[in-house]
This record gives sequence, structure tokens and C-alpha cells, in this order.
Amino acid sequence: MRSLRLGAALLAASALAFATELPSYQVRLTAARDGSAQAMATVTVGHCPAGLLVLPLGFSAPEDLKLEEAPPGTRLELGARDTVSSLRFQLPVALDAPVTLRFSFRVKQPLQALKTAPGEKGALPAGSRLFRHGFVNTQETPIGVYRLEFLFPEGLIAQAIREQLPKLEKQEAGPRVLLSVLDGQQAATLTYANVHQGDATSMAVELVPRQRSLGWLVAGVILAGLYLFYFRDLVAKKTP
Amino acid sequence: MEKMTLSSKAREAQSANERWMRYLGFPGGILLFLVILYLPAGAGASASAQAGAACFALALVWWVTEPFPTYVTSLVLMFLLLVTRTSNAKAIMDVLGMEVIWLNLLAFILSSMLVKTRLAKRMALWLVLRFGHKASWALLAFVVLQLVLAPLIPATAARCVMTLPLMIVVATIYGSTEATPNNFGKNMMLLNLGCISVLSSVTMTGSSANLIAVGLIQNMGGHRVYYMDWMMLGAPVAIVTMLLMWILGQKLLFRIKPEEQVPQLEGGLGLVREQYESMGPLSFQEKKAIAIFGMVLFLWMTDIFHMRWFGVEISAPFAALLGAVVVLFPRWGILSWAEADIPWHLLIFSAGAYAGGLALDDTGAAEWGVRMLFGGMNLKGVPFGFTYTVVISVMMYSHLLTTSKTVRTLIMIPIIITMAKALGWNPLSLALPAALCIDWVVGLPISGKPNVILFSTNQYTVGDNFKHGMLTCTIGVIILVLSGATWFHWLGITPAFWAVAP
Repeated sequence: MRSLRLGAALLAASALAFATELPSYQVRLTAARDGSAQAMATVTVGHCPAGLLVLPLGFSAPEDLKLEEAPPGTRLELGARDTVSSLRFQLPVALDAPVTLRFSFRVKQPLQALKTAPGEKGALPAGSRLFRHGFVNTQETPIGVYRLEFLFPEGLIAQAIREQLPKLEKQEAGPRVLLSVLDGQQAATLTYANVHQGDATSMAVELVPRQRSLGWLVAGVILAGLYLFYFRDLVAKKTP
Repeated sequence: MEKMTLSSKAREAQSANERWMRYLGFPGGILLFLVILYLPAGAGASASAQAGAACFALALVWWVTEPFPTYVTSLVLMFLLLVTRTSNAKAIMDVLGMEVIWLNLLAFILSSMLVKTRLAKRMALWLVLRFGHKASWALLAFVVLQLVLAPLIPATAARCVMTLPLMIVVATIYGSTEATPNNFGKNMMLLNLGCISVLSSVTMTGSSANLIAVGLIQNMGGHRVYYMDWMMLGAPVAIVTMLLMWILGQKLLFRIKPEEQVPQLEGGLGLVREQYESMGPLSFQEKKAIAIFGMVLFLWMTDIFHMRWFGVEISAPFAALLGAVVVLFPRWGILSWAEADIPWHLLIFSAGAYAGGLALDDTGAAEWGVRMLFGGMNLKGVPFGFTYTVVISVMMYSHLLTTSKTVRTLIMIPIIITMAKALGWNPLSLALPAALCIDWVVGLPISGKPNVILFSTNQYTVGDNFKHGMLTCTIGVIILVLSGATWFHWLGITPAFWAVAP
């Protein structure tokens, strides 16, 4: 009985020692003017046993998947696809120290123009494009921080962040989606920490052309002019 | 005094400067709107945030210069928020159903009850008779009067309108008239101006903006602030400041000569006594009003126990709603609906201001703006006391830039909460003390509605108002900083002043 307990304890200890760790998972998606986008993902893997490592992927149809940086002999292939994609890494050796896995892929048409049926009310004005991204941790291994940086194509800016989920917890410093400039382009960054199995995060950003309509300028000048003319009696010198 | 109304008529421009301001305010607002709208997009701001800032800037210029009445500007703002795609229709329209609008509406029904039954007048006369034999004591009587009225009547404009006739009578008794104002008159008007605004911060129901701040602290900061929590922090700060201003006003800023310390007109106090005595004993209606107001006040003050007692929390608007039901009840009540003086234009003004403020918040514009302001100071890693002092100072003096407590609250409090989180501090430690500054709108005649009303008495100049207001705010900052280091710390609101966030 005693030796059984010892064996169980040793097994648990070795399992803990080899429990996979994923401190960070970062994807940078750079959109081009032609509508396509190139993604570069960087995953830090802590301890990991040799063999199969499955990672969730927040893009449904990645193309030209390529391993950019990994321990020698590592192989990468797209996992079985249903509604959520996954990536399958074959690691030749166990990883004892943190290692960076870097891979790239192409995303076709990440920006969508919402089409409306005849007679239906439009949800977005002409020229607006919507970028949606969702990520679900389908695997058992929790992810320390998941971050998606989406660099907008040249000529487009964010009109509004339409969705940023999940809502911030009380102790979290926000915002979930932050607008900033990365490599000279406006970008939206989605950040979600402590992503356990089944946790999901998503964002939707509406993009519009950088150039504003001159209609506001014309309307403003006309209104100001009309007011100055028709209300000039406000400051007219009063005749005795 | 019985005829208290809050006129919806547009205020006439008085001086040539004011007329020019009004004339140029309209194109000025449009110009500012266009400049902000067509500025190159900021890195951290979305196009809707930029449009929201442009709309709000236009409204701010129009609220200050008044080419239109303030409520028309609010309606224009609401429309602009829609057509610039800053907010959607539902978000804009929902503002009129917000808790704070309801509380405003119900507060005016309760105020109308106090005016109709003449209970407010009786209280005011009684206080003056008890304290008004010497100039200094007469001034103190008004501090006490405003302190008593502040929790009873949340609307500062209503409190001002209600007590203004008394202020004028007492100022006249001490020789200060519109034609020949003296330092007693300046002290009287400006001390009351300070009291009306500052003493609103004694309770969280003292103004709508306080309640908005409480809501923001709860929703964004995750901390529930109860009536007594607020009062334990806000009351000592506000009362000590106003007592100091009572002394400093007459001893330092506008010195009252010994000969002005005694009543200058025969029959002055006698007139007050005559009015008081003519009211006779408490009427049945007044007793009913006391009972109704007592019930509402009781519910406001015991909200922390409601869940235990009733199994449901009766929030501040619902306590006022219950009071309004009794007040308006046929036969047994006090008022008919037609007698309730509800200034709908103020509610529309408020709704527009809230819609604009919320749009700045929702689009991230306010956060981006204040982050730029605070970000320039790099408060990361500095002791809490320094951050606290900066936050309190910015919050206190920022009232000079806006005409709406609500808008200021909606801009500043979310940013302060976000900043506190980012710096690693408990949001409550910065947001609640900052919220105590919301009502201190005392620097300029356009800073608040009571300011506009009192400025019309012609007893003081803009410069006098600025001097008095700045001294009030500076004393407030000093007391809040001292309180933050001691009293608030002992209550567990603030960390140690020398603490540095991890």
C-alpha cells in the first residue's frame, strides 16, 4: 500500500514537471490594401513533453501555413477543422526550458462589407468594413496571455470598436481592445489573460476610409454664414 | 418665495460683451467642431471618438455663449451624436430614462411640496432669527441654513431661488443693496454661492452628478458606495471648508468694517420676525410634508439595511418616487400634478449633457483625452500621495472649463478609475475623493445655475467671484489632501500616502 502511494506521488510529480505551459500566444495580423492579410504568430511554450502539442487557432481558413522558428525536427500541420481550427505541432524532444514557436499564415479577406438584401435596412454605411476575430481555447492547457494585434490596411481607420468580449473583470485594467499605432499603422490590440479551456474572447472593429466627407465643412460654413447674417441685430448699435 | 419657479425663458444678454459672445458663439462652436472633426486621426482614438469630441466641443461653446437656450443646444447635440455616428439612437434616447433623470424629476416634486406648504420658508426664517443679530452671525446663519437645506433639496437652483429673497433682505439690513453693494453683500452672496454648491457634496444625493459618480464607481470600479460611506467622507470636508470660508471671507477677502457689523436698516430683523410670526404654528400640511420628507430621508439614509429589512433595496430614486406618490395622492396628498413645478427644460438639458458625456465615454474619447493629460505626467511608480494630490487638483479646478457637473463627472471619473487600475491602486481610493469635488463649481458666474442667479443680484464682480471661488477650491484641495493622508486612510479608503504600487 505504501509503495502504491509512493508510486502515485511520483507519477503526479512527474506529470506536474511535464505539464505543458503556454505563457503567451501572440498573433500579429497585417492587412494589405488588396484585402488579404498576413499573420505572424509567436507562442512561448514552457515545459512540454515530446510528441503532439495541439494549439487552438482563431482563424477558420489559414493558408500557406509555415513554421518560422521552432526546435529542430518540429513539424506543424493544420488540425482537423470543424468550426474552430487547431494546429498540431510534433515535438521531437521534451521542452524543459521556455521555447518560442513562430509560424506564419495568410488570411483571405479578413475585412467584410456587410451586404444587405433588397428592402432590408443597412447595418453599415457604404465604405465601412468590419473586422471580426474570435478565439476559443479548446485545449486543456491554459494560456497566460492571448494577444491579437490587427494592423489596419493603409487608408482605413477605426470608426468604432463594435465588440470586445469578455467584459473586463473588476480587477482587470482595460480596455480589452486598445487602439494604437504599430509599425506606423493604426492597429487594434485584443488582450485576454488567463485563458482556460473553454474561455473565449472576441473583437469586432469597424473600419472607414481615413478621408472624411467634406459635407460637414460645407454645411458648417453655410449655417455659420446664415446665422451671422440673420442674427446681426444682436450686436448692431442701437439707435437712440 | 412661495412663487418659486425655474423659468425656461432664454436669459437675455446683458452687456455688449455678452451679446458679442452670443453672436460669435454660434460660428465659434461650428469652427471648433470642424477643426476637431478634420484633425488627423489620433493613434489611440477612433473616428467616432473624434466625432464625439467635436460634437461635445460645439455643445460646450454653445452652452457657455448661449446663442440658443442650453436645452436647445442639448437637443442639437443629441442629433449630432446620431448623424456623426458617435452613438446610436437607442443609446441617445435611453438617457432620458436614466436613474439620475428620474431622481431630478422626483426631487422637483418634493421641492414643490416644501414650497407650497411654506415649510422651507419657515425653516429659513427661524434660522435667521436665531443667528442674525450681528453680521458675522447672520452669515453663519446662512451657512447653517444651506447645510440644513442641502440634503432636503438636491436641486441647487431650487435652493438658491428659495433662499435668494432672504439673502437680499438680510444684505439690505446690513446696508448692501444692488446700487450700493458693500463687503457684507459680497460675503453674503459668495458665501451662499459656495455653500449651495459645496454643501451638496455632504451627501451622495446632494446632486445628480454625485449619484452618477457613485454609479460609475460601482459599475467600473466594482465598489458599492453607500449613503453613509459618502457622508463620512464628504461632510467633514465640505463643512470645515465652508466654516473656514465664513471666517476668511470676512477677515481676509472682503473685510467687513466694524460699522458694517450691525444692522443698517431699521426694522430689518423685525421684518423677518414679523414674517415668521405671521406664519403661526405648524399647519397640518406642513406636518404632513415633514412626515413625507422624513420618510424619504429615512429611506435615503438607511439604504445599506434595506436588503436585510425588506428583501429588496429601495434605491434613492425609488425612495423619492414613493414620496412623490404620497405627495400626489388624491385627497390625502399635498400637491396636484399641475402644482408640481417640474423644469422639463433642465431635464432635457441634462439628458443632452449626459448623452454627450456618455458618448465621450463609450467611444473612448474622454479616456483618450484624460489619459493624454495624466499620461504626460507619468504617475507610474510615484507615491500614492502625489498621484492623489494631482487627481484632486485636476478634478477640483477643471470646473472652470465646463458648465455641467454631470459632464465633468462623466468625463473625469471613468478616467480616474481606469488610471487607478492601470497604476495599481484601488479605484475607490482616487475616484471617491475625486467625486467629492464634483459639486465645487464656485469659480465663475457661468460655472453653475446658482452662480448665474446670484450674479444677477449685482452685489459682486466676476473678479470677486473668481477670488472667492479659487480660495474655496484651494482650501478644499488642502483639506482633501490632509483627509486623504489621515481620515480617509483610517477609514480604509486610501492607502498610505508614501505607498508605491507594485
